[in-house]
Formats: sequence, structure tokens, C-alpha cells
Amino acid sequence: MTGIRSNEPDAIGRLRVMMLIRAFETALAMRRDHGFQLLSTGQEAVAAGLCAALRDDDQMLTGGRSIGLALARGIDPRRLMAELLGKVDGPNRGKGGRGHLADPGAGFFGAHAVVGGNISIAAGVALAKKLDRDGGIVAVVFGDGACGAGSLHETLNIAAIWKLPLLFVCDNNQLSVSTPRAEVLAPKKLSDLGAAFGLSAQTVDGTDVETVAQAAMALLEGVRRGDGPAFLECISHRFAAHSTTARELRDAAELARIRGTCPIVREATRLRAAGVIDADLHDALEQDALADVSAAFAFADASPYPDAGEVLADVG
Amino acid sequence: MFYREAFARALREEMTRSPRLIVIGQDVGAFGGSYREFDGLYRQFGPERVRDTPVAEGATIGIGIGAAAAGYRTLVSITYMDFMMLGLDALVNYGAKLRYKTAGALTSPVVVKTTAGALGQGVAHSQCLESWLMSVPGLTVVAPSTPADAYGFLKAALRADGPVVYIDHKRLFPIPGDVPLEESLLPFGQALVRRAGTDVTIATHSYMVRVALDAADQLEGIGISCEVIDLRCLAPLDMATVADSVARTGALLTLEEGQTTCGVGAEVTARVYERIGAHRWARVGALRAPVSSNPVLEAACLPNAENVSEAVSRLLRK
Amino acid sequence: MIYQLSVPAAVPSVEEIRILEWHKVPGEQTEPGDVIVEFETHKAVIEIRAAQPGVLREILAAAGDWRKVGVPVAYFSSLPDEELSVGSEGTSPMSVEFEVT
Repeated sequence: MTGIRSNEPDAIGRLRVMMLIRAFETALAMRRDHGFQLLSTGQEAVAAGLCAALRDDDQMLTGGRSIGLALARGIDPRRLMAELLGKVDGPNRGKGGRGHLADPGAGFFGAHAVVGGNISIAAGVALAKKLDRDGGIVAVVFGDGACGAGSLHETLNIAAIWKLPLLFVCDNNQLSVSTPRAEVLAPKKLSDLGAAFGLSAQTVDGTDVETVAQAAMALLEGVRRGDGPAFLECISHRFAAHSTTARELRDAAELARIRGTCPIVREATRLRAAGVIDADLHDALEQDALADVSAAFAFADASPYPDAGEVLADVG
Repeated sequence: MFYREAFARALREEMTRSPRLIVIGQDVGAFGGSYREFDGLYRQFGPERVRDTPVAEGATIGIGIGAAAAGYRTLVSITYMDFMMLGLDALVNYGAKLRYKTAGALTSPVVVKTTAGALGQGVAHSQCLESWLMSVPGLTVVAPSTPADAYGFLKAALRADGPVVYIDHKRLFPIPGDVPLEESLLPFGQALVRRAGTDVTIATHSYMVRVALDAADQLEGIGISCEVIDLRCLAPLDMATVADSVARTGALLTLEEGQTTCGVGAEVTARVYERIGAHRWARVGALRAPVSSNPVLEAACLPNAENVSEAVSRLLRK
Repeated sequence: MIYQLSVPAAVPSVEEIRILEWHKVPGEQTEPGDVIVEFETHKAVIEIRAAQPGVLREILAAAGDWRKVGVPVAYFSSLPDEELSVGSEGTSPMSVEFEVT
């Protein structure tokens, strides 16, 4: 079984990806050995929509909230789970985990757990692509939490001056651990940060996968053409706490309201209303997702840990 | 040739040999570098491969590391070592850890070249911080003290498969030296005995090698024979050469322009102990103060041939 | 009168220079303001100009040679056929101005 590629232009594919992410992360959080995870429950439309606009020779870099994006990009869920559990069959032999997961051959150049730490790295990868002239672009995903960091502003500037083929994607779930975005970030829209450096910039509803996909594709046209970098802000909602060990600060009423914006429910409803899917297919898609997750977890559980002697391997 | 010419020659040879080698940094393009060490490269290789950056050391280092990880070996020029600190997140948290965290799927062959040392430019433009970097697993750190070493180690750095911090020194640029006629590389982790001697081993690096040699000349006049070892590479360290020397001389004096607290000398001394046990030792470095641009205070703060000679005499009297 | 041109201490921290180019040849008359020679340091070029008249008699170091500060690099004389005595008693320093570019 291979990972699902969300570069299928069709809507069913995008719904399927979102369901996989939801099923995977939900099951992960229920395990006793879930570890230290940052989940994207509620933000699946950003991952699925963005990856719908990416091609095989593009590269993606992310921050620490990497699981949904990695699945959407097409990383094999079995190998991904092995990596999360620290097993040798992960793409990084279990040495990176969620925070540093990398599968460059699959177009996932890597996650990096330092907030804002991957942004300048992504610009370097974009510079390499520009010099290669292979037509590929780079997308770097970060949250609202990274938008106060100097690394973002410095990189926006250099990317603009050098016209790097780089799409800055801000998955703005409006909270940085416990801190509401409006209390610590001055711009009216976070896409204004890109606009300040002359980038084509847009802010869209991150709970609508179709909208995200369209916006990403439109901005990437210019990036692929060599116009320089662009900035896409997707406004989303985080259903759970910042991490599996962080305290939740929102009350039950607010959480219920937020869950009402579920991108999966929204898209499924839209597709059923449009006759693209029916109840049977909807069920089948959900069952597929659960089955994929089951298989992934079984594979990862069976995979061995690395030998302790590997602690000194690949230091450099 | 001048130190800068040796540097430029190595870089030109490597850029000719490898079309996927690029240079980024402030003033590296038409200006040719603050020390003229990039002279002629912009004219020869053009703006695609020799790129001026704004003042943004953090992003510059990160971009260099990312480009290298994606197949374009990059030399990042950071004019002052004091400002390399701005890029430590990218260098230490990403660059030095990339091969390990991806289990070898990715590595970043980047060279961060930076100039250390005091020359009247004030507290934030004078520091020698190499000891901070020696303890980072995954980083190679080299500090050449002569034009020949500048040439050989830059070529080696530009062929390494992981991140290298290449440190020159403001006071080394005026000092010319012979450079091999044929293309050649120097190996990392190999120190060099600059002056053979029998009474004391002085282990040092970078500009302090010149100070040690001057001190050795002075000490010869009073009958003390110094062996001066140029460490050259700080990570990995060549402890075999140093320990062999101390086993013969019985005394070790480490000399650095940086701080002795957690300094290069602290590490060298501890490792010599691990290898050969007890021996006489002393560390010489800057006084525990920032290095002011004030000429009286800068001179008082830093080691010179006189106070190194005194330190050797004191050490041997113990 | 024999005059000796030595490498001046023109640039702080420079102890050794490289001869870049002689602008006069032996036998040539030099007037105040004429460029005699250019020296190269690690950073800049030093232009040595005569501040007195004289005839260049002998060049002691060629283009590309390295010389330390204070070392003589050429002899001048007031008259074209004065005898150049070996040994520097009776020589004066050649008066020059220098410009660092």
C-alpha cells in the first residue's frame, strides 16, 4: 500500500486524505504510548488543499505540526507511524520522530521542530531549485506562532529580492500554545507580512479544502512562472490542545463552536449535496481510512527499535 | 602570497571544479569581501554564484544550509564572528543535526567562513568564540594560521560532506606566506609542530600561533626551548600530536585569544590528562573582560609575547 | 648625495609588503610629485611619490618581491653619475610622500 497522493485533482481524493489524517491522529492520541505529539485535528483542509497544488518535483518543509502535512504529501502511513514510535522502518530510522520527519524522495524535505527554524532552510532549498531550473517549487508551512520570528521577516525579504520559487504558507490556527494571535501579532492579516515585501499574498478560509486548493494553485502559478515568492494565509481552528501534553485553555462551549467548523463534515456535506458522493461511498471512505490506520499501526508495532549502538551513527 | 590571496585561490579552484558551489554573504560580490578575500570571484563567476545578502546573518546562514542540503554546496561569509551568533539556530539546531535526525537521508555540506579576533574595533567586533562550537556534535571547526593552511583547509572544507566552520583572524590577513604550487588539500584533525622544542609544549591556534612563536624566540634567549604546536583544527582535535609532545616536554601551556573558561585550552588540557596522566600545565587566554576598542585596554586584555613568556617561566619554575 | 628609499611604515599593522610595480627605470630623473613605485599590502596599494628631485640609480627588489618595512629597495643620487658607495655612510633617506589607495 502506498501513501495517498493528494495531488489528485479530484475532490474525493482530498476528502479521503482529510479522513486519513483525522483517523490517524485520533487513533494516535488514544494510544497509551502516544508520545509528545502536535496534532492538526481541525486543520486537515490546509494540508489536503495545499498538497493538491503540489507536484512530484516540488518540496515541502514544515514546522513541528507535521503529521497531517506528511500524510497529505503522500508519505506512507505505515512508515510514518514507525517513525513516530521510534522504529527502524521509519524514513529516519526513528531518529527524527514527528518533529524532524524527512522523506525528501517523497517531496517532504522535512519537518523541523524549532518554531520558524525551517523557514530560511526552505529558502535555501528554493534557491537550489532556482539554480537547478527544474521547474520545481518549495512550500514552507508554519503557524501564526512563527509570524513574530525574525527568521520569517529576514527570509521574506531575501526570497523577494532573489525571486525564489517559494510559497510561504501560514496555517493560522489563531493560537500559539496558549497565546491568541491577536494579542501578540500586530498585522491585520498575517498575509500582510508577505505583502509588505511585495509578495502576492492572500488570506483564505482554512476550513474549506476547495478554497485552500484553489488559492494555492493560483498563487503557485506565479511562483512556478518565476515571479518570485508568494504568501498564503489559511485561517483554521485547532480542535485540541497545542500538544498531547499541553493543557487546554478553551471552555466546553468554545470547543463545541470550533468543532462546528469541521472541514471534513463541511466537505462531505458539500460533496453529498452536489451528488459527487453518496452515503455508501462516504462510509466506504471512512472505513478505508480506518483500515489504513489500522494497518499502519500494526506495521509500526511490529517494526523493531534501533540497536542502542546506533546512538553514534550518522553524527557527521 | 597574502592570506587573502591563498583563500581566494582555493575558492576559485573549487568553484571552477564544482559548478554547484556558490558563495553568499555581505559584500562578497563586486566589493570582493571586507578583506578582499573574494577578489575577482564575482567577475569570474557572476551574480548567480556569488551573491550579496542584506544584513541578515540568521537567514543567510539558514539559506546557505538549506541550499547545501538540496545539492548546492554553499560558502556563507559572516564578516565578524561576533555575528555568527545570529545564525546559531540554523547552524546548530538544523545544520549540525541534519544528518543525525534524518539518519543520513540528508546532510548539509555548508562552510560558514567567519573572521575572529581583536583589532581595535570594540567589544562587539572582536570576539574569538570557537570554543563554543567545538562541543557541537556534527560540526567541524578549523582555524588556519598561515596562507598555506588557509588554502589547504578551505579546499578541504569545500569538499567535506557536512557543515564546517572556517575561522580566519583579522591579524592574519597582513601576514604573507608560501603556498604550495600544486593543488592540495589538508586533512582535518591534524595539528602541526611549528617549532620543535624540549622544555615546554605550547598548544595554540590562529593568530596566537604568531604570538607563541615570538614568545619562543624570547625564551630561547634565556635558555628555554619551546615546542609550538598549531592545533589548526579544533573539532576534531589532534590530541595524539599534543599528547606525544607533552609526554616528552613534561609541561603544557595552552594559549588562545578567547576566554580560558570552557576554552580550547580547557579541552586540550583535559584530554592530555586523559591520555598521559599528570604533568605541569597552565592556560593563557584573554582576561575575563570584553575586549574594548580602547588601545590601552585591548592590549591589557589580550595575550602577547611578553606575558606568554612570563607564563612559561612561571610554569617551569613550579 | 646618495639617497636610500626604504619601505615606509605607511599602514598600521603592515610589516611586509609586495612590490607591485616600478614606475621609473635606473638612470631616469625623478621630480617631486612623480610616482616612483607602488607597494601592495594585504588590503590596499601604497603609491610612493618623490618629494625631492633625484636620479634613480639602482633597484634592489623587483616587482613581485616581498620586503619588510624599513628595508631599502632603491638608491637615488642628486647627480646622474655620482659614484654609488657600498656601505650606507653618507646616504640620506629619500624624501617621499605616500598615498594609500
